[in-house]
Amino acid sequence: MIQACRWLLLAAALVLLPQAAYTQKKKPPRGGEAAPPVTAPAGGAGAPVSADADADQPAPAGQTPGAPAADANAGVVDICQITPDAPQCVNVKEVNLGEEAKKPVRAEIYAVEQQYVMKAGRFEIQPYWEFTLNDQFVSHNGPGLALNYYITQVLAIGVNGNFYEGLNEDSDFNFQNRRSARIAVPLNQYQAAGDLNFTYVPMYGKFAGFGDFIFNYDAYIDGGGGVIRTRPEAIIDPNNRKFDWNNLINFDVGIGLRVFFSRWLAAGLEVRDMIFFDKLESLTVATGPTTPATAANSPLNPNTWYDNNTHFTNNVQLQVGISVFLPTSFDYRLPK
Amino acid sequence: MKLRFVTAILASVVSAALPAWERTAQAQEIELTGPLKGAPAVRHMRLYREGRFEIAPAVSFTLLDQYRRTILVGARLNYNITDWLALGAWGAYAPDAFISTTDLSDQIDRTAPRDALTAVNVNHTGTYPNYGAAPFQDQLAKLNWVVAPQLTFIPFRGKLAIFNKIFVDTDFYVAGGVGFVGIQERANCGEGGSELVCSDPKSFTLQSTMKIAPTFGIGLTFYPGDFWSLGVEYRALPFSWNLAGFDSRGSGPNGNFPDTKVNGEDETFHFNQLVTITVGFSFPTKPKISE
Repeated sequence: MIQACRWLLLAAALVLLPQAAYTQKKKPPRGGEAAPPVTAPAGGAGAPVSADADADQPAPAGQTPGAPAADANAGVVDICQITPDAPQCVNVKEVNLGEEAKKPVRAEIYAVEQQYVMKAGRFEIQPYWEFTLNDQFVSHNGPGLALNYYITQVLAIGVNGNFYEGLNEDSDFNFQNRRSARIAVPLNQYQAAGDLNFTYVPMYGKFAGFGDFIFNYDAYIDGGGGVIRTRPEAIIDPNNRKFDWNNLINFDVGIGLRVFFSRWLAAGLEVRDMIFFDKLESLTVATGPTTPATAANSPLNPNTWYDNNTHFTNNVQLQVGISVFLPTSFDYRLPK
Repeated sequence: MKLRFVTAILASVVSAALPAWERTAQAQEIELTGPLKGAPAVRHMRLYREGRFEIAPAVSFTLLDQYRRTILVGARLNYNITDWLALGAWGAYAPDAFISTTDLSDQIDRTAPRDALTAVNVNHTGTYPNYGAAPFQDQLAKLNWVVAPQLTFIPFRGKLAIFNKIFVDTDFYVAGGVGFVGIQERANCGEGGSELVCSDPKSFTLQSTMKIAPTFGIGLTFYPGDFWSLGVEYRALPFSWNLAGFDSRGSGPNGNFPDTKVNGEDETFHFNQLVTITVGFSFPTKPKISE
């Protein structure tokens, strides 16, 4: 029993040792030592500032004169005394805060000083899943991928592709409607689509969530054109009609929202309308003989399978995905 | 001896583990010094909501309509208890002039046969064998009015920059409540007694009824000024109703086949989505400013 008590005391002592270290107060500076000179990085206002260095930190003293900067730079000096070859210690020179304070201050202050994410010159990879919003008869859900290159902070050029084949789904509503009203509605399936797009980002901002955290977002519009491959489902005359995929020109416009988790990762939500003139199955069946199949009024002649008119179609889809910006880091041209 | 040793080891482990939990709490302490110590996250913030009444005339548009499109005009009333919680109601009414048919309804009206096979489901004028065409839209259900007491939760607020020139305060909200929905749908028929036979042309008339359904929505409010705001909201109002007045269920396996009766079994679940645009006016006209 006595041995157990000794073990317990030993264990308690071992546990308390590191805790004692936690509660030590910060040692005051040694008496008699001169205060280290106030220094700041030599980079001027035009030097890039790394976003990864955390833009929320106070700006260097050379760029924003003021007392708080002195504290920040004192830390820099300490580090430089220990490791003079550290990156932040290279090209460090002494700054006279009194002289710096006399310099004229550029009074212009931007409402949003630094955008959280700089996009110019970066690639965006945007995988997403799309959901049909406006087709009551056949849903065209499927995966998609967009690749964009930002020419400027607000303008990008890119391509996107959607894949639908095997994922087109006939709705129950369609069946109920057909059975009750005895009418057949021509249905079309989509295989894939590809578009060349321009993206414009006119809006950005930030939200405070629960008064506790801040997240940044931007909103964009995009538009372009490309090709979509569709084909009718054989509803009216399934015994004779077997449709091939048709290449159709499409135009697309969209509006989207991105919420940034970091400077290179965002969640995206977009509503996109793909506009094209679709070729639908003919509601009438040719009544001629089946042989020869190429006869003008043969039900086996593919020329009799399609409606004479093309039909203006809006395929509105909701796209939910993520955005990855490459390279993952960037430099600000101006400090915060 | 062995038992004591094991006891001692266990006691040591427990002793070591207990303060390890404490360390987690210690790590949460942030010692903030300097001029920001104790300062609020945002100073002089306009509290657009706290303590203010809001009346917001609203126009709502139904989405993904199968047979009818509806535009509802109404208003939202809110009292904002805090900047993040409001209590209020949304109400809207759809005049007949604001209710139209979809292209599908028009096509059915034009092309659906009026015969013995469709006599229960498609409006007609006569009886066997002389079925004449009657307007299909007369049997389509209508969404007439909605009243929805609701709570609004505003978790996010911030600002939005447009074209790098216009800056507007914005908040994001989630609203939820109970919707009392006035609809008209095809009256029950085919049960016998006082009910008409469903192939009777008179059975295609609509009957008013009320549905009680949950309602929830998300929205953005933009504050261009202290007194007024603009809003856009997406709302769902899910409940079951018989949009086309068809007899589609009631007999056969799982009741999935028509039974020549129109009743509650023929109602199908719909999410009933709307997008609403509001212009809000808040009282008092000046918002509070935080410290």
